Amino acid sequence: MSVPDAYARLRALRRQRTLATGMAAVSMLTASAGAAAAAAADDGSSKSPTPVEQSSNEALMKKLQAMEQRIKVLEGQRKQKQPTGAGGPAKPAASVAVSNDPKLRAEAQTVAKEPAAAERKPILGMLDSPVPGLIIGAYGELKFGAMQNPDANGRWQNGFDAHRLVLLPTYQITNNIIFNAEIELEHGGIAFDADDKRHGTAEIEQLWIDFKIIDQFNWRAPGIDLVPIGYINQHHEPTQFYSVHRPEIYNALIPSTFMVPASSIYGRLMDGLSYQFQLSTSVEDFGDDFGKRTGANTVPPFPAGYAAGITGLDALRFARPVIGDFRQLSNDLAYSGRLDFAPPFLPGLAGSVSAYYTPNVTPRGAYADTGDPLGRSSLTLFDAEFRYRVPDTGLEFRGEYARAMFGRPADLRANNDGDPTNNVGKTMFAYAGEVAYHLPLGTILNSEWEAVPFYRYTYQNLQTSGFAGTDSNAPTGAGQMQFHTAGIAIFPSPKLVLKATYQKVKTRDPAGAQSDSILGAVGFFF
Amino acid sequence: MTKWVRWTAPVAMVMSVTSPACAVQYLTIAQAQKLAFPSATGFVEQQSGRVWKAQNGNSAIGLFVFDRVIGKHLYIDYAVALDLSGKVRRVDILQYRESYGGEVRDASWLAQFVGKTSGSALQVDRDIRNISGATLSSHHVTEGVKKILALYGNQVR
Repeated sequence: MSVPDAYARLRALRRQRTLATGMAAVSMLTASAGAAAAAAADDGSSKSPTPVEQSSNEALMKKLQAMEQRIKVLEGQRKQKQPTGAGGPAKPAASVAVSNDPKLRAEAQTVAKEPAAAERKPILGMLDSPVPGLIIGAYGELKFGAMQNPDANGRWQNGFDAHRLVLLPTYQITNNIIFNAEIELEHGGIAFDADDKRHGTAEIEQLWIDFKIIDQFNWRAPGIDLVPIGYINQHHEPTQFYSVHRPEIYNALIPSTFMVPASSIYGRLMDGLSYQFQLSTSVEDFGDDFGKRTGANTVPPFPAGYAAGITGLDALRFARPVIGDFRQLSNDLAYSGRLDFAPPFLPGLAGSVSAYYTPNVTPRGAYADTGDPLGRSSLTLFDAEFRYRVPDTGLEFRGEYARAMFGRPADLRANNDGDPTNNVGKTMFAYAGEVAYHLPLGTILNSEWEAVPFYRYTYQNLQTSGFAGTDSNAPTGAGQMQFHTAGIAIFPSPKLVLKATYQKVKTRDPAGAQSDSILGAVGFFF
Repeated sequence: MTKWVRWTAPVAMVMSVTSPACAVQYLTIAQAQKLAFPSATGFVEQQSGRVWKAQNGNSAIGLFVFDRVIGKHLYIDYAVALDLSGKVRRVDILQYRESYGGEVRDASWLAQFVGKTSGSALQVDRDIRNISGATLSSHHVTEGVKKILALYGNQVR
């Protein structure tokens, strides 16, 4: 039935309803009048309707109620055909091209009542957008549980972390120019009053505009973007991995979320092969408080000293470049590139190879604790990873290898800061292997649930040999780590995940890692 | 003088072996109709801008349905062609606007829908492969095809 036909039918039904109501009213009045007349003709005492009359009235009321219900169904279908607030198209009406078979029509009506993906509201899926075309999504992670605290001699402590709430505004400026951003609040945000007890972060994590030109070549204008290294750095929402924390390689060696001032070109070369090439501000070997960098954009002058950005304990975690106020500590640019593949001849397999290179990580004015200036040192990062879902099974495998190579470790601050425990060698590397199994749990609370038990082994060596610099050569072994991570991730929907993870951490440090944990998490992405 | 050649030559080589295609609008409705029903002599609109009956002469040969779903945050325009038995004949992505998740356009992924009917499960991770990095897009396109089969899969005859 076409839309005009539906309207005609609705109007016809309304006329019928009006007519039926009128007829019912007339019938009732007639019946009442008849009853009254009969009563008047009788001995004057009041009399109840006869069984026949009562039955007739009840049948009429039932018919009216059925018509009322039918009108509501048709009105609901008519409302669903109206365009959405974000300028989306009307959904295919259930009544279009439906045959006259009542069973098929009923089937179509049932489907029409189910919310379609295009009905998703633009603001967090729930509200109409105040700016047509602006869509805001979100992702977030809440974590809780018990963990060993190495600063408390490994004592187990309970805790909670509102780790992330990230807003994802997207705006289609034109058909070919798209705006994207990520605005992040970490660890509950920031506050200045003691009673608020906040020590988190409020930051811009991504901010860029894409010019979509042709399939093979698109330009991302200068903005804040993610380095195209590894998989999780660019796909870091909590529904993309099964453990409570992001995979270990992405906590230090690849300092996720590895965001940089950058511009890119990217495209799809053929089915199953795409690329990205990025130019960005270099990482910096300065990991101290922001306020310690001078107005001349150098490290604090000798002999104040400063913390290293690259160490054998934290890898590159404190080396990410500055993204604001022109306060970068060098003029150096970094180059990174990535190839994503999903070969059609191997369904279920996807992976990438990527690399990052900067000619220099040493900031302006860098020096050893002896006062000697530190020279330039390059950094090359390489990553290769794959994800394989065995077809027609629930089995999934993931594997990854990442390696960092330093041009001149003798010029890294960590090898010259008087601390022998955080020295950096010529290279750092890590590898990980993961196995998971997807178990359908069936329909619960009107959605299809899935459970994914998993195990991941990660080995990470941030202090390989080749130490140089003014520090004595005495790393503790804390930079050589093994992680055994096991748990389960339960997905009530692809947009929501409930996680439980146990992690055992081992290092070569005689004191031990003292960093085991049993954690739970709630993560969402929509 | 030759420095710029060193930078642009790789790009030029890539461009020369791949055929350029539009970044957002990959197919028009007319192009998608032709791909789905090469032998059709005409398409009779059943619902304006949404559903067409493919005909060869006076005989119906299938149904062509245009729809939109949300990818991650932006719309994906796609089309589903049904044959006379109500099976999916072809699925095409006409417009993809997002910066990530474009793997749903891969022919090998879309080929999974061919032969599906209104009785098929059409669930990601069951009979449709997920695409890591395009989870939401792959789920939403799958749900869209399922909806179209439920609405029209029994009425093509």
